[in-house]
Amino acid sequence: MASKLPKSPLEHSAGGAGAAAESPGAPPRGLLRWLLTTNHKEIGTLYLVFSLSMFFIGGIFALVVRLELFQPGLQFVEPEFFNQMTTLHGLIMVFAAVMPAFTGLANWMIPLQIGAPDMALPRLNNFSFWLLPVAFTLLLATLLMPGGGPNFGWTFYAPLSTTYAPPSTTFFILGMHLAGISSILGAINIIATILNLRAPGMRMMDMPLFVWTWLITAFLLIAVMPVLAGVITMMLLDINFGTSFFNAAGGGDPVLFQHLFWFFGHPEVYIMILPAFGIVSAIIPTFARKPLFGYASMVYATASIAILSFLVWAHHMFVVGLPLVAELFFMYTTMLIAVPTGVKVFNWITTLFQGSISFETPMLFALAFVVLFTIGGFSGLMLAIAPADFQYHDTYFVVAHFHYVLVPGAIFSIMAAVYYWLPKWTGHYPSERLGRWHFWLSVIGVNLTFFPMHFSGLAGMPRRIPDYALQFADFNLVSSLGAFLFGFSQLLFVVVIVKCVRGGEKAPAKAWEGAQDLEWSVPSPAPLHTFETPPHVTPQPHP
Amino acid sequence: MWQVIKSVLAAFFGVQKERQRRRDFEQGRPGHFILVGLVAAAVLVLLVVLLARLAAS
Amino acid sequence: MPRRLAWLSGAGGFALSPQVLANGWNMPVGVTDLSREIHSLHMTIFWICVVIGVVVFGVMFYSLFRYRRSRQPQAANFHEHTTVEVIWTTLPLLILVAMAVPATATLKNMYDTGDAELDVMVTGQQWRWRYDYLGEEVAFTSSLSTPRAQVRGEEARGETYLLDVDNPLVLPVGRKVRFLFTSDDVIHSWWVPELAVKQDTVPGFVNENWVRINEPGIYRGQCAELCGIDHGFMPIVVQAMAPDEFDAWLAERRDEAAQEALGVDRDWGHEELMTRGEEVYAAICASCHQPEGQGAPPTFPALAGNPRLQEDLGWQLDTVINGVSGTAMPAFRNTLNPVELAAVITYTRNAWGNATGDVVQPARVAERLAR
Repeated sequence: MASKLPKSPLEHSAGGAGAAAESPGAPPRGLLRWLLTTNHKEIGTLYLVFSLSMFFIGGIFALVVRLELFQPGLQFVEPEFFNQMTTLHGLIMVFAAVMPAFTGLANWMIPLQIGAPDMALPRLNNFSFWLLPVAFTLLLATLLMPGGGPNFGWTFYAPLSTTYAPPSTTFFILGMHLAGISSILGAINIIATILNLRAPGMRMMDMPLFVWTWLITAFLLIAVMPVLAGVITMMLLDINFGTSFFNAAGGGDPVLFQHLFWFFGHPEVYIMILPAFGIVSAIIPTFARKPLFGYASMVYATASIAILSFLVWAHHMFVVGLPLVAELFFMYTTMLIAVPTGVKVFNWITTLFQGSISFETPMLFALAFVVLFTIGGFSGLMLAIAPADFQYHDTYFVVAHFHYVLVPGAIFSIMAAVYYWLPKWTGHYPSERLGRWHFWLSVIGVNLTFFPMHFSGLAGMPRRIPDYALQFADFNLVSSLGAFLFGFSQLLFVVVIVKCVRGGEKAPAKAWEGAQDLEWSVPSPAPLHTFETPPHVTPQPHP
Repeated sequence: MWQVIKSVLAAFFGVQKERQRRRDFEQGRPGHFILVGLVAAAVLVLLVVLLARLAAS
Repeated sequence: MPRRLAWLSGAGGFALSPQVLANGWNMPVGVTDLSREIHSLHMTIFWICVVIGVVVFGVMFYSLFRYRRSRQPQAANFHEHTTVEVIWTTLPLLILVAMAVPATATLKNMYDTGDAELDVMVTGQQWRWRYDYLGEEVAFTSSLSTPRAQVRGEEARGETYLLDVDNPLVLPVGRKVRFLFTSDDVIHSWWVPELAVKQDTVPGFVNENWVRINEPGIYRGQCAELCGIDHGFMPIVVQAMAPDEFDAWLAERRDEAAQEALGVDRDWGHEELMTRGEEVYAAICASCHQPEGQGAPPTFPALAGNPRLQEDLGWQLDTVINGVSGTAMPAFRNTLNPVELAAVITYTRNAWGNATGDVVQPARVAERLAR
């Protein structure tokens, strides 16, 4: 936020699009070009396209689940396949849709926002992307194997995922390992880029919040992905080499699995939301035409959330039989997280106050993010109260909670980012009319799907069941209708993107009049190579 | 040193005067802040553990 | 509150059946002192969230409306205000402390399992529950009794669809009952909302929880932790009765168990073993090996037409009694008594075209169990 726009947009974008393509060492054409590219923009595009396709695959799995739950009884799929669908929906959405989308946005935007010519480690960048299709081809291929794919939930609790797992579990483990390596390499690259390639004159506290939140996220990734790798390696050993890490009969401890998993899993939750905070903190000031209320306190709050995320993991395990002191410790730390999260929400709202607000599609998604993410935060606060969690745990109330923070949270922020930066990527504005349709249908769909889940959960419906008692029928009917509405309205998103790539109203370098950051100083569409000579950023004194 | 501790505590609380913050960034060394930050995080954990033990007894 | 919400949803155009209202939109208040405490914590934190939400969203929507571009072409330019920031950090902290105090008290109460008058061991098994009244010589398993035909939609679904079991857990009203939870295979979670008891059953470990029920009645719940294919089909039914009725019931079950023990020594006829075996098979085996013994390979092998099963009785006895480690086949030596084991083995050797003609006597199984 704090950097002034350089005087002339074209000054440091030596060449421009045409010249870049003709320059010596021009990239190979066709498929090979995408396979071998080391350009951060192309790799960013690859990540985003991959993520969008996986979003649809994970979405289809979700719709299979919602179809079966449309009515009581078993109509469409068997419980065995139902469990594979819930598991793969979760795994694909977390590891193949949300995380790569944020990495794609980071690839595209971080170099542009800090005035760097590319990522610090371009070949590593190429490698970390191409690990992903391999990883998820392996994972999805398990569906065709004898005994089916993973059917133990995306949290894959042992011993259901070890002693009692289908034979394909070893492939699942290999796939997760590859995805994990990809994330770690991507995180290393992002940290190296941010710490080393900032334009002269840009201090840490001058970086846009998207860069800040990603920096902190990258440290979280490096800290916790190895824990995931460790825990799935222990599973691998238990399954194939006769160890008993998680097998009580051999002296192991199934609860150890949960501690390790959630020590990874809770920071993972923040990995999926911190970059979203960064995006929203860029969009709201742009369309309120007013600087972010508390830049420094946003940075502090992000760091606080990151630190606290390592201290709360066992709140996922309140009913597993923890000692009283542990329950109290994790209840207190979990409640503490509400404070920095609240600070963020207050900051966004104060930014709106006395602004001059317009409602373009990116802003609509960002505002919906603030409201609906906060609702997810409220249910999170309720879940933090350990005694009450004995009633909430593993019910649809929890499903409602984490879908509120992940769908209108993480995913809406990604959509907001796409609408916000599409003019920079393509040189055209996305269709405002279709964007609005997409927005309103999504908002209605999301709330119809997930709001009734609060009620069915409180009324006693457990998670991950393929069939349910009759008193939950009406809630599930509404949820299923909402899910289909939400799912099909995402086709509009594809239409908007395709139309925007092909043409539309031309966007100037600074596509949104309230925008402040450095990416708006290069032409739209951003040429393949930007900032080959670093821009000089005049540090703006904090008033 | 006292200044560093004060600034880290302010960061843990999440609020800091702009003037203080600028002084820290101009005069402070990042290593000091990181070290004191880690110690403060450990102290926070210990405090909550103590509180939980106290509450449980 | 339910009535108001019902009106809202009516206005929204959804045709809601009265059943939803009868069963509620909210956490049940429950029938124990603890469940009431938990419910009131839940409502308190809910209303705190509502109030914060109204204030925060109120300011937000006011700003969106009041400071829209057409009305406010020029934005103000202010940011950072230490006093405001201190207030909005401190106030939530105070609210949280106010919430933490009663939550801590309730939690301590939940963990106080001392002075129980009755101990019940609850063992999770794929996909049924086993209840042991410790020191009372009474133990039984409890499985889903809703007919599969209702699941398939071939029969009308009853009011307690998926929430019926063959043997409910019977508990006395007014006495403190301590539960000990464990599992024979994967992690399950025993949950009855009206009792506010939810506890994971972890293989190799024993968890504790307790309940003192205030009102007689029938309380239903379900397994809450994903435990495999039939996770959605292992309900819990608790029948709470007056203490004297409970004592009479317990005595009766104790006699039955003694009777059953005598049955081990007598010679059983083919027909009675088949009848008994069919019941056991339907309650215990059919969820994996399927009602017609066709199985679900490769995880669950077929029993109908299985050559090894028909040729090798010793192997089948060993498989059923001790389970097969590393697979989903559990050991039934502690779950079923010799009569039930003999009956179900006889049944599987003579049903669905398996025609060994074997009659396996309970005495033979008992001898095998003793080895």
